[in-house]
Amino acid sequence: MDQKHNNEVDFLEPSVLLDETHYQAGFKNGYNDGLVTGKEEARQVGLKNGFQVGEELGFYQGCVDVWMSVVSIDQDAFSARVRKNIEQLAALVRSYPLSNPEDEQVQDIMEKIRLKFRVITASLGAKLEYQGRPTSSKQDVEDL
Amino acid sequence: MGDGGAAELREAHCLTGHADRVWSLAWNPSPGAGAGPVLASCGGDKAVRIWKRAADGAWQCTDVLEDTHNRTVRSCAWSPDGKLLATASFDSTTAIWEYSGGDFECVATLEGHENEVKSVSWSASGSLLATCSRDKSVWIWEMQPGNEFECVAVLQGHTQDVKMVQWHPILDILVSVSYDNSVRVWADDGDDEWHCVQTLTEAHNCGHSSTVWALSFNHKGDRMVTCRRHLSTLTGYHGRTIFSAHCSSEDIIASGAGDDAICLFTEDKSSMVEGPLYRLLLKKEKAHDMDINCVRWCPQNPRMLASASDDGTVKLWELRGNALD
Repeated sequence: MDQKHNNEVDFLEPSVLLDETHYQAGFKNGYNDGLVTGKEEARQVGLKNGFQVGEELGFYQGCVDVWMSVVSIDQDAFSARVRKNIEQLAALVRSYPLSNPEDEQVQDIMEKIRLKFRVITASLGAKLEYQGRPTSSKQDVEDL
Repeated sequence: MGDGGAAELREAHCLTGHADRVWSLAWNPSPGAGAGPVLASCGGDKAVRIWKRAADGAWQCTDVLEDTHNRTVRSCAWSPDGKLLATASFDSTTAIWEYSGGDFECVATLEGHENEVKSVSWSASGSLLATCSRDKSVWIWEMQPGNEFECVAVLQGHTQDVKMVQWHPILDILVSVSYDNSVRVWADDGDDEWHCVQTLTEAHNCGHSSTVWALSFNHKGDRMVTCRRHLSTLTGYHGRTIFSAHCSSEDIIASGAGDDAICLFTEDKSSMVEGPLYRLLLKKEKAHDMDINCVRWCPQNPRMLASASDDGTVKLWELRGNALD
């Protein structure tokens, strides 16, 4: 800074600094508030998501358990192909990384599980469906 | 020479009855010994109609299959033995009808697609059925004893609506056509594992950029016509989008379009150019009052063509003329 204008700078400096100080104080307040409320909200969202994922997986696991019981009582209740699909579904549900929600593959595995489930119910002619999530078909109807 | 030399497409019958646009047609490949041709049509009125020729030569609607689908029936296909009819609907289901003793009965309903089913096709072997949908997937089903159907595979890969599926006339190879402007070929490795073995996109074209709407195999299965690009590109004959194309057993290609016209193409064998070349045989303007959605040659009579239109009618045409050989 230019030493010649020292007096002018000194005269203005407190006012400028005051503005800056208030800005910093305000920012710090807001940031701390944000940290707290954001963390709380994230916790709520996490709980909710976790519950939904758990509920959906639990549904599929329940169906798999029932189907497996049927097979253990009557080997021929389902065809070889359907049995193989049930086993694949069981493996997929087991492979879902429950304790690592940040695993990039979670969405992919869930889609595979949902599809495998639809293949099995389609083959069995069973009207089984996990009710918890919205389906994609409730959109504009296309007439072509 | 000269008698009726020029090719002509003569309107032989006009079948009315559908209360809305007719989307698709299917001729029964094996109507039975001594029986005449049988045609199925389906449409926006949620019904399927069966048409047969009476003793006096007039065509009648002998059956109406309704009260099963609760939305438009978009596509229908007979099994190779002619005993079953599959109908694909916007209500996301595919119904299987059995023709027994003069009556059609719905013996199975295939559910699985998330939304509108656009097309259905039986394999040449008769044991596999393919369906495709706006949900971008193709499902393959295998028929089991007792008219039960098992899902063999769900094929994913298309990034938009799948408009049509068609099995190869001889091999268990499936072709699908989508709004994503690609044609995909699917085959299995023998263990229920189906894979996309080839994808044909715009890059394989000479510049067409419109949606592929339909495809048809020729008789031998060594050529495939797609309504966006042919093996030897045929453009400029229709003024609007071509919605349907079909190859007859004599390898005459019929096409129907949004310009209400039907065009017929035949191979130009006189050409010295390498590779197949086709020429326009004739163009029937104003074949219908509105868009033509489907054209299908009759398997029992390769000179008879059926067409379906937005105008709610099905028309039967006779191809005449010496200049076809």
